[in-house]
Amino acid sequence: MLKMKFLAAVFLVCVITTVASIYLFSINKQPDTQLVEFTTPFVFGRFQIPQDNPLTVESVKLGRRLFYDPLLSKNNKVSCASCHKQSLAFTDGLALSVGVSGKSLPFNSMSLVNLMWGPKHFFWNGRSSSLEDQALQPIEHVDEMGSNLDDLTEELSEIKAYQILFEQAYGELNAASIAKALANFQRTLVSSNSRYDQFLRGEVSFSRQEEFGRKLFMAHPDTKVSLRGGNCIDCHSQFLTSGFSSVFDGFSNNGLDDDINLAEGLYGLTKLEAHRGLFKAPTLRNIAVTSPYMHDGRFKTLEEVLAHYNGGIKRSKTLSPLIIEADNLADTKAEHISLNLAPHEVLAIISFLHTLTDESFLTNKAFSDPFKTGELND
Amino acid sequence: MIKPLKIIGLVSVSLLICIAIVWYNTVPKQLTVRFYPFLGNKPLVLNNAKYPNPGGEGEFTIRDFQFFISNLELTNNRNNYKEQESYHLARFDVGKAYYEITISEISVSNFQQLVFNIGIDRKANGTIVIAGDLDPNSRMAWNWQVGYKFLLLEGSLFTQEQQQPLVYHIGFNESYTRLNFPLNSNTVSNDGIIKLKVDILTLFNQAELIDMNEIPNVKFDPEDVAKIANGFKHFISIL
Repeated sequence: MLKMKFLAAVFLVCVITTVASIYLFSINKQPDTQLVEFTTPFVFGRFQIPQDNPLTVESVKLGRRLFYDPLLSKNNKVSCASCHKQSLAFTDGLALSVGVSGKSLPFNSMSLVNLMWGPKHFFWNGRSSSLEDQALQPIEHVDEMGSNLDDLTEELSEIKAYQILFEQAYGELNAASIAKALANFQRTLVSSNSRYDQFLRGEVSFSRQEEFGRKLFMAHPDTKVSLRGGNCIDCHSQFLTSGFSSVFDGFSNNGLDDDINLAEGLYGLTKLEAHRGLFKAPTLRNIAVTSPYMHDGRFKTLEEVLAHYNGGIKRSKTLSPLIIEADNLADTKAEHISLNLAPHEVLAIISFLHTLTDESFLTNKAFSDPFKTGELND
Repeated sequence: MIKPLKIIGLVSVSLLICIAIVWYNTVPKQLTVRFYPFLGNKPLVLNNAKYPNPGGEGEFTIRDFQFFISNLELTNNRNNYKEQESYHLARFDVGKAYYEITISEISVSNFQQLVFNIGIDRKANGTIVIAGDLDPNSRMAWNWQVGYKFLLLEGSLFTQEQQQPLVYHIGFNESYTRLNFPLNSNTVSNDGIIKLKVDILTLFNQAELIDMNEIPNVKFDPEDVAKIANGFKHFISIL
């Protein structure tokens, strides 16, 4: 009798332990993920990845599929890639982008390059403070992709491929994991093999014109010491060529409009008058393929951009004092704000800007449409 | 006879332990250095406040003010504490009354002097090393031949005739200036805070008052740079 009771007790303990283990194991189960292995150029400096969204192979694979999937839009015809095409360094060649509604958006499509560096605020007017936060906004925007996130989540959860990918990457399928996956795919879009990067690594030499253009790009003109400069470096950092990463230092008013016509820009986020009309200084990497230029795509060519800085600046209250002051002629008290660069200097700067084109980035299969490359086996 | 002695002994030891614990907990374990920006006796207010041109007509506003503090040390007669990767970009943004640097896990009472430098030391200034707030892709990076701007002051000067931009970018190795301040009960509060006044006007008030109409910008001209950088010696004082 005692033996039976003892055996029954042991059996009960085993059953309870087994059930408990299975339960605990399943609720604590995190997906078994693998971190992406990558290197970045020393000259780009530090970057950060959020603790709650480590850069894993699984999240990047999921993010890439989502990026190119038109299912994310209301009419199933518009994907992120519709306005961010790899061959155009993830822009779309339009002055103002157009989404599901057919109506032009107020802003030009921004190039998705080197997003782990530069300003930590996204969109032209800086209204988003993380890639995760930014990713969902176009999906929900009535004129961009026009989706309802709850409906979209349900739609995705009915597709076997997404069930597997979300399970592998995050263990769950919801708006947060959609955002995280898209953010992580975008983090991998690193452009660091342009002629300029090769020059920085000592692998190539520049032509005389390119080198002259580089020096002008990097110099704030100073007539007192006979230093001629294009002043680009005052807003576009020397290696990344983007706006500065600290606080809102990477946002400027570069004289596109007078006070009457000035769009609100960063003021929309901070409500500080000093930020009215300030916009994000974008990266100039691959600038030769990302026309048209500025937040509203008003300039079709680099020549037009240089002409703006070289005599087309419009005054407004928040116009950067650096732009007003920078002048290759001694008299800065003139009504007319201009860099006063000579034509051959303008050509040289444009020649340098062309060295920022990175063909290997524009054709890198890892960033391309997985629906087209036949990588998807569903 | 022994018993009362034992009791007294126990009580004394306990008392000593209690005093030690209390004392240990009240001695500051970190030093917080706070920089408060001023123009003369007026606190710096960005963008909206107007200040008189030190050496001439007109009033000016300040849009941005930043400068580097580096190689911070705490010293006494016997040994020094040297902060690692000691490159701080002091910045003063709207809504922030001060900029602060905190040095943790040190016993403030052990040290008699706070030492730091305005600008970047020659070695770091000549490289693209990334340490502390040094960032070759930052606003303070001039370019890789000249190094960093040590101090940045940008704004506008308003006179009856016009408004003109003020751009003071002060760099060059010669401008690197060492400063020191006493650490004692007069200068450091009980919770380990030392308050310093950063007086922008001292930069324009050295051998003579600088007229911003005459010198509205300083960039690479060595004489102009020296005029402003000479003020670094008196730029910061105990508040």
